[in-house]
Amino acid sequence: MATTTAAAAAKMTGTTAIAVSLALSGCVVANAFRQKKQFYPSVVYICKSNPSMAVMYMQALVAVYFLGKLIGKLFFGQLRAAESERLIEKAWYAVTETCLAFTIFKDDLSPKFVALFTLLLFLKCFHWLAEDRVDYMERTPVISYVFHIRIWSLLIFLTVADIYFVHDAYTTTVAKGPSVQLVFGFEYALLITLVATAAFKYILHSVDVYSDTFWESKAVLLLYLEFFIGLCKAVMYVFFLVIMVRTFTVPLFAFRPMYHTLRNFKKVFQDLVLSRRAIHNMNTLYPDATIQDLQVIENVCIICREDMTAAAAKKLPCNHIFHTSCLRSWFQRHQTCPTCRLDILRPAPITPVETERRPMHRAAQPSTTVPANTHSTADLGNRQGSSIGNRPSGSQTGSRVNNQIPQNFTFKPFNFQQQAPNNENNINNNDPNLNNGLPLHNINESLIQLMNATRLENGNGFGLPPFMNNTEQSNSNLPFNTVPPVPLNFPFVGGVAIQSPHMPPNLDALSDDELRHLEQNTRQACVDRIKFLNDIKCMLDTAAMLMNHYNSAHIISGVDDSDTFIDIVKTSKVTENNEQLETEPSNNISSDIDFNTSNSSNEGTSSSSGSDDQLLPEETEQQRVIRLKRLEKFSNSGNNST
Amino acid sequence: MRYRYNTTNLNGCVIRIFFPPPPYLELTLNPPEGIIAGPITEENYFEWEALITGPEGTCFEGGVFPAKLIFPSDYPLSPPKMSFTCEMFHPNIYSDGRVCISILHAPGDDPMGYESSNERWSPVQSVEKILLSVISMLAEPNDESGANVDAAKMWRENRDEFNKIAEKLVRKTLGIPTNT
Repeated sequence: MATTTAAAAAKMTGTTAIAVSLALSGCVVANAFRQKKQFYPSVVYICKSNPSMAVMYMQALVAVYFLGKLIGKLFFGQLRAAESERLIEKAWYAVTETCLAFTIFKDDLSPKFVALFTLLLFLKCFHWLAEDRVDYMERTPVISYVFHIRIWSLLIFLTVADIYFVHDAYTTTVAKGPSVQLVFGFEYALLITLVATAAFKYILHSVDVYSDTFWESKAVLLLYLEFFIGLCKAVMYVFFLVIMVRTFTVPLFAFRPMYHTLRNFKKVFQDLVLSRRAIHNMNTLYPDATIQDLQVIENVCIICREDMTAAAAKKLPCNHIFHTSCLRSWFQRHQTCPTCRLDILRPAPITPVETERRPMHRAAQPSTTVPANTHSTADLGNRQGSSIGNRPSGSQTGSRVNNQIPQNFTFKPFNFQQQAPNNENNINNNDPNLNNGLPLHNINESLIQLMNATRLENGNGFGLPPFMNNTEQSNSNLPFNTVPPVPLNFPFVGGVAIQSPHMPPNLDALSDDELRHLEQNTRQACVDRIKFLNDIKCMLDTAAMLMNHYNSAHIISGVDDSDTFIDIVKTSKVTENNEQLETEPSNNISSDIDFNTSNSSNEGTSSSSGSDDQLLPEETEQQRVIRLKRLEKFSNSGNNST
Repeated sequence: MRYRYNTTNLNGCVIRIFFPPPPYLELTLNPPEGIIAGPITEENYFEWEALITGPEGTCFEGGVFPAKLIFPSDYPLSPPKMSFTCEMFHPNIYSDGRVCISILHAPGDDPMGYESSNERWSPVQSVEKILLSVISMLAEPNDESGANVDAAKMWRENRDEFNKIAEKLVRKTLGIPTNT
């Protein structure tokens, strides 16, 4: 009978449930009176008979349910669809978890216990509804006085109830030892955090509602609130788990909410840390948008679709522009660019870890770095022109070469060109003065001068690579003597440019920032690298110019032994391509690298190499073989790389 | 939200007026083909109703499907929720009508565990884009998503049966009695 009643009550709604339960309990009471005739015997009879008790329980449940509904109506008015949906979902979880809790406390199972759990469930429902209602404040257009009164009275009622039950549970546990009251106490303590959240949110929302302007820091406050509440909950769950395991057994029923709480807390914590970092990045590193930038995107922030002013808009590293406030609220959730999803924490270095030794304007804005570099290169070109133009011999050609030097040399041809004379010179090392009376010493000096200029240009922020320092110190007569024979590739450069940090004893102890710094991922390291590359480029330009100058000096001095050189090339079976590579510096001068033309360019290079050949008429067969091998090797490496 | 200002009515209550969010204007001024959408009431811009026509050349062709969009209070930072209010049978629509596509999921929350983050919600998305994605979802269901496993299975294994059910639904939305 009880089961059918329960099933019917569960299915039927509203009045039918009341009617059925009333009728049934009426029947039971009437039946008892008919049999026992008097009040007390009837009560005893009903209490003794299980089916009658079941009916009475059902009746009580229905009565409580409708009482709850009535109080709900008093506090909330008509529930919205979304609210009741959420309520049913949460209540379902709460009921299943309560059933799990029954398994642990089956000894305590009594009507009082069931009643307490029912009460807890109802109070929980009110807490959830209060939470929903407070959240709804943000969206509803009209907030009446009734709403405020309801929320206030509800929050006070819930707080009082929670504190009373926590206190009750505490005293019972202290007086009678651990029992099911432990669970109640814990649950109500959790509910207190819920009420606290709702109250704080209510205050924040109220302030927001009655302020006419958009309250930006509200979101930050909400995030902090969530963090602290999450922290409280997490600590509570851990305590509860420890106590339960020590006194009873593993509280299975608390695992799901515990998992959710801990996961939420972790997420909030991450959000808090990452968003703080992202917002800090935004405030310190990213430039304000300029008026030109804004015009390109028609002045509209694509997040809120309102107009932007230059002062209130920020430009991300990916060149997307948004309102600062829009970005701030987005960064509290996700630290990516809203448009292209660039992770703004990953590529962008955090605050400069080292103290700046360089002028600030260089490091201030990443976008200005590149133009600044090109500018300095151009500057340098002028300096090169002036310094070489001062030279007594071949000043005409010097200035001509300078004018024609392209600013953007490709890297590879240069290596080749640097090394070809290098090897020649290595072979000729024994007698450098045989260089046909050309003032090589002067050239070398000018090179050193240039390097000094370069260093000055870069504010001496970091040392030139060691080999360049060597050039200076040794004061060699041959400018390319100490250039490393291997092609300069990027990793090598990077390795030299930035001093490798000392290995810290304990990597685990380092903070994220320190690790990032260790990785040379910082802004400082990046700036250093770019500067160093710039220096290399400058040195290469210088080298190219000197080579050209050297060539033209040969032409002027009337040495022309191209036949000999061509002979060598033929005998060594160097490919056509190789020859083109050989001739490249002259091509570069016309700033238009063309691998297929070798008309006029042959002249310059061949004369230079050829003159070397002529200078050593007594070259032994062994040296000749070595040279051929080297030529071949370089032609191969040149081919490979092209 | 930015779309609001406060005013006080005769009884002293604060009334907040929500401006029509610009996506609304966009949609009403030049609606994309096959979409009608707008707030249900003038006072609440956070609940929208949309009518979506089934894309041509698919089994949903000709149908007009009503749907509801619920915007969160922090829109556009969080995605709206969308659910069809008519009966639907589709691999990416739950049996209660909720739509499960990646554009409606915030990055980091992936109910089905297969979506890449670059199709997720971001504040630059608009209602129009959502509705267009829904239309393309109707045309090309993603049978890896398990929002409606029965529909996904049928879509993969028994396309004719799926088409029949879809046709029935289309007829139902148009109010045409089904043949069977």
